Amino acid sequence: MTIKVGDTLPSVNLKYCPYDPSLEHACGIPQNLSTDSFKGKKVVIFGVPGAFTPTCNNSHLPEFHQKFQELTAKGVDQVICISTSDAFVMDAWGKWTKTNDKLILAADGNGEFVTATGLAQDLTKIGFGPLRSQRFALVADDLKVTYIGVETGSGVSVSGATAVLAAL
Amino acid sequence: MPYGLHNSNQIQVGDTLPSVTLKYCPYDPELSKACGIPQVLTTDSFKGKKVVIFGVPGAFTPTCNNNHLPEYKEKYDELAKKGVDQVVCISTADAFVMDAWGKWTEVSDKVIMAADGNGDFVKATGLWQDLTKVGMGAVRSKRFAMVVDDLKVTYIGVETQFGVSVSGATAVLAKL
Repeated sequence: MTIKVGDTLPSVNLKYCPYDPSLEHACGIPQNLSTDSFKGKKVVIFGVPGAFTPTCNNSHLPEFHQKFQELTAKGVDQVICISTSDAFVMDAWGKWTKTNDKLILAADGNGEFVTATGLAQDLTKIGFGPLRSQRFALVADDLKVTYIGVETGSGVSVSGATAVLAAL
Repeated sequence: MPYGLHNSNQIQVGDTLPSVTLKYCPYDPELSKACGIPQVLTTDSFKGKKVVIFGVPGAFTPTCNNNHLPEYKEKYDELAKKGVDQVVCISTADAFVMDAWGKWTEVSDKVIMAADGNGDFVKATGLWQDLTKVGMGAVRSKRFAMVVDDLKVTYIGVETQFGVSVSGATAVLAKL
C-alpha cells in the first residue's frame, strides 16, 4: 500500500554524509539519519529513481535547491532527497550539483524506506535493478503525512518543489 | 537468492567469460554534465581482445575512489604496452553513476566505466556479495580484477579483506 495523507511516516534508518565544505572528494563516514528525528518538525522528502540521471539531475533536484528559501519561509525545517543509492553516491551527487549545502541527500541503500511506504519500483528492464524509488514528494508534519505526490509519467509535476509549495 | 538469478561458482582461470550485457556512457569530452543515453556493452565484444576487468563494491567509496580506480588510470599505458586492449571498471551501480564517477576521477577514455546494473555479470561469475549490513543493498560486486584473453580468463584476483592487493593494477601487470 502506498503511504497516503494522514498516515504516520514509518520508522526507518537512512544514511547520509553531513555537509562539510572542506571535504573535496569522497565522503568520510556515513552517519545514520532516522525518520524518528523528524518528530516535531515539518519535513519535505522527495524521492528520485537515480542520482545523476537526466531528469533527477537537471530538473527535480535543482528545483528543490532553488526553492529552498521559499520552503523554509513556509515553515519547512528540512528538505531531504532520497534514493536507493548508497550514502557515498548521494554525497558525490550533492557535491556535483552543489545542492548539499541546503538539501540533505539521504541514502535508502537497502530500500527500506521505499518498501515501507509503497514507493518502490522495479527498474530491472532498464538495467537499474529491482529496487528503486518512484519519483515522489511528500510533506510530513510531526511524522504525519500531509501531502504526497507520485509521478505517473516522465518529468516532474506533483513531485516537484512548485507543487509542494502550493500544498503548504 | 535475491532476484532468482542463477548463482554461479566463482569464475576461474581457464573458464570462458559469460555472455552478459553491460551499459556505459561513451567518453565524450564535450559533455560536462550528466551522461546522454547509455549504450550497450556486451562481453561478446571482448572476443579476440585482451581485456582487464576490475570490479568495485561502490563508486565514490573511499577505497574504490582513492586507491583502486586511480591506480588503473595511472598504469593504463603500462597495461597497453603489455597488450591490453581495454580496461573496464564494473560495479552494480547504473550507467549514470558510473559515468559521473568516471568524470569525477577524470579517467577520460582510459577506463570504460561499465554498469552491471542488474548484477548479471557478478552473479554469472560468482563475484557478488551482499552488503545489506552496511546499507548498500543485496547485490554488490566483490573487489576483484581479471584478465580475459579472447574470452578466456587468464588471471583472477579477488580481495578477501580490506584494501587493494591482488585486484590492483600492479598485481595485474605482474601477471601479464
